[in-house]
Amino acid sequence: MTVAAIGLLGVALLLVMILVRVPIALALATSGLLGYAALDGWAPALKMVGLVPYQLASSYSLSVVPLFILMGAVASRANMASELFEASNAVFSGIRGALTNATIGACTLFGAICGSSIATAATFSKVAIPEMRRHGYEPAFAAGAVASAGTLGVLIPPSVLTAIYAIVAEQSLPKLYAAAMIPGLVLAALYVIVVLVMGWLVPAWIPKVAAMPLQVRLRAALGMWKLGVLFFLAVVGIYLGWFSPTEAAAVAAFAAVLIAFATGAMGWRGFVDALLETVYTTAAIFYIVVGAFIFSRFIVLTQFPNELARWVQEVGLSPFWILMAMIALYVLIGTFLDEVSTILITVPVTLPLVIGIGYDGIWFGIFVTVMCTIGLISPPTGMTVFVIQAQHPDIPVARIYLGTLPFLVADFVLVALLIWMPALALWLPAYLRI
Amino acid sequence: MERWRRLASRACGLAAAIFLAAMMLLTVADVTLRAAFNTPIRGVYELVELLLAGTFFVALPAVFLRDDHIVVNLIDDFIPRWIPALKRAAAMLAVIVLGVLAWQGFLAAADSLAFNDVTADLGLPRFWHWTALLIGIVASGIAALAMAWSGSDKP
Repeated sequence: MTVAAIGLLGVALLLVMILVRVPIALALATSGLLGYAALDGWAPALKMVGLVPYQLASSYSLSVVPLFILMGAVASRANMASELFEASNAVFSGIRGALTNATIGACTLFGAICGSSIATAATFSKVAIPEMRRHGYEPAFAAGAVASAGTLGVLIPPSVLTAIYAIVAEQSLPKLYAAAMIPGLVLAALYVIVVLVMGWLVPAWIPKVAAMPLQVRLRAALGMWKLGVLFFLAVVGIYLGWFSPTEAAAVAAFAAVLIAFATGAMGWRGFVDALLETVYTTAAIFYIVVGAFIFSRFIVLTQFPNELARWVQEVGLSPFWILMAMIALYVLIGTFLDEVSTILITVPVTLPLVIGIGYDGIWFGIFVTVMCTIGLISPPTGMTVFVIQAQHPDIPVARIYLGTLPFLVADFVLVALLIWMPALALWLPAYLRI
Repeated sequence: MERWRRLASRACGLAAAIFLAAMMLLTVADVTLRAAFNTPIRGVYELVELLLAGTFFVALPAVFLRDDHIVVNLIDDFIPRWIPALKRAAAMLAVIVLGVLAWQGFLAAADSLAFNDVTADLGLPRFWHWTALLIGIVASGIAALAMAWSGSDKP
């Protein structure tokens, strides 16, 4: 059998195992081990899998992952979301769609700190959807807005997904965070524009709510200080040269714990719960990382990424069509695979291809992350949509998907902007000279 | 079985939580000492690596016991009656793969001990990293076996 045939068989085996419900980590490890053994013999394959877990046990850069997850777990227990929603509501108060825009504003900062789109969506479906429904907003639109805004945190730094991309793609995490900043804010702004446009097109969905008095607005706006402090420590501290990413994550997690204890929002029981949630989540993610490392050793051995890049050059496909194919691929994968697995499985193959047509590894990190946010709300397995539906069983899933459609348009506008103007991502890291 | 599983996964989680909290506090102490007295803690990178290994590998059995695996569940609606059997089959496969990892990891750990492999800065024996790793993998194998035996109650 040729190397290419074994490579394709390995990928096919992986997909079949994933579809019959083998845990993704295990499917990656098994197909990687068998494929490696088929290409290079059992002795090297066994030696390889024996050493991969150790690689994880001696990788300082991975420590950023549990620390950022911990910061998010504490922040989501410490009542910071509802205060932030109030504050954000105070900012937007008086315009049509104020509550939806307040949700988007609050999700931007809360999602950045929390880092998990599912936790953000779960939190705001409790905080924001009842409030929007109470004021007569269309439930499908309210739910669609929370599902979409929940994905903002995946892009806006500090993001766990970006940290995982940095590890597989061997790119600088501070550069990636800087690169994600402007696209993240542009996406949030696009979402706000979507709300304004929808308010104009379908006013019945988005009623106008009376403005709050200025005094109340000012007082409420102060409510964002906690998350503001955390964002400053976790992100700005890196660029002021105070911290490395791991140090920033540790300091910000510690600050979150201090704030939560000092304000009485969290006790010891809550802290232990946050720690437990963090270690369980970390273990589930790192288990996939182990599997993905084994699988990527096999992929490297097949030379598949290089062959693909060479083939693309021989055929003479234009960069535009390669990117279109890439978008189609990620939309397809996003319909069934979670975002961490998507990045771990695809990046070793797609990154060389994109670099081959003249794009940058940092730019591609932002592109892939945006594609993952699309996967999070696309049917049939948009995870954030399910989380919201579980809390509001009276809103049918299909209606929530309908509610996310206008926001999906915004996602694709951002993808087009990134392709048209790569500087959208690359300007800030160049300006900060990191 | 159910009660035992909950206790075991919580014990793993709490032990891993101690490593995680230590990792956070150690890094914060290092940053503070560096900023205030210009005296960073020596070898903090190596200690964080070891604590990270502890956090991940000690928590790994809980992923099996809690059935926290990340899976693609597209087929669940089509063949709901098959799901418990598929879960058990996946748990058996996990026992085999973790067995291979433990076996090969044990051989590599023995080499590491024989060659007296230590970290560059503090001279910590790398054997400790291997110990955390092997405990986690062997315990996960046992947890997977227990799940294959008892089945999961998680939908």
